[in-house]
Amino acid sequence: MLSAQPLERRLQLAGSLLILGLLIEALCVVWTRPIAFVVFAGFGGILLAAGILVYLYSLVSARVAPSKKK
Amino acid sequence: MALPGTLLLLLIVVTALLIGVLVLRPGVTATQGGKILGFFVLFLLPLICAGMGTTYHIDRSKRTEFCLSCHEMEPYGKSLLVDDPAHLAAAHFQNHRVPADEACYTCHTNYAMFGGFRAKMHGLKHVYVHYLGTPPAPEAIRLYDPFNNRECLHCHLGARSFEEGAVHTADPDLLPAAKANKISCLSSGCHETVHQVADLNKVKFWKGTPDAQRTTP
Repeated sequence: MLSAQPLERRLQLAGSLLILGLLIEALCVVWTRPIAFVVFAGFGGILLAAGILVYLYSLVSARVAPSKKK
Repeated sequence: MALPGTLLLLLIVVTALLIGVLVLRPGVTATQGGKILGFFVLFLLPLICAGMGTTYHIDRSKRTEFCLSCHEMEPYGKSLLVDDPAHLAAAHFQNHRVPADEACYTCHTNYAMFGGFRAKMHGLKHVYVHYLGTPPAPEAIRLYDPFNNRECLHCHLGARSFEEGAVHTADPDLLPAAKANKISCLSSGCHETVHQVADLNKVKFWKGTPDAQRTTP
């Protein structure tokens, strides 16, 4: 279920992309045809990269509570 | 599946399960420990999986079974079992002058700088032609570039049988010319019989050891 918090929602999106990428990577490890590397790099690699980028973006775009001035 | 493949698969499954926990319970990343866990699970572990996966696929693409898994290459695999020492590829494969598990790659890679990368680019072109192009008949397949003596000399240079062989030393100009790639080892009337896949119906085959049978069709 999607979280109501924007940061958590982005983390969920990043996680979902990464799980899809890892699933493709796992299939390509089992699949022994020469095209497996192309699928691994072309689809799995893009999904993993997208997941990591969304995660990093979620970190830099997270709002922090303003610190109290003395 | 070999051990590296099993270990990689295990790492992928563990990583996916940990990511699944974060997807189902993203609230755990609110704590400091959760943030560290998130960094490991959503950044470091996927990077490690991708790196290990790439290494695994590159290593697998060097294997003889991998090269021979396309049907166009089957006759080339059979040519490794020709029962005739004059057949260069067969003699190298059967006598383990090249590692039997990486027989194709050992001779057909490029031992220059970025040679492995160039070999992989050629491999990607093979995959493209296999799936989206019109593959030529096995006997019509040609190398992209003439075979460079450098690939032979990678192993043979300095070897006593090569440097002091009777045929090699009969003409004092022969070895310097071969080392300078001015004459080809394969097409100068010396070692011309390599794969000869068009003539495989005329030759006898070695039954091979179980290991040799495993790596060839």
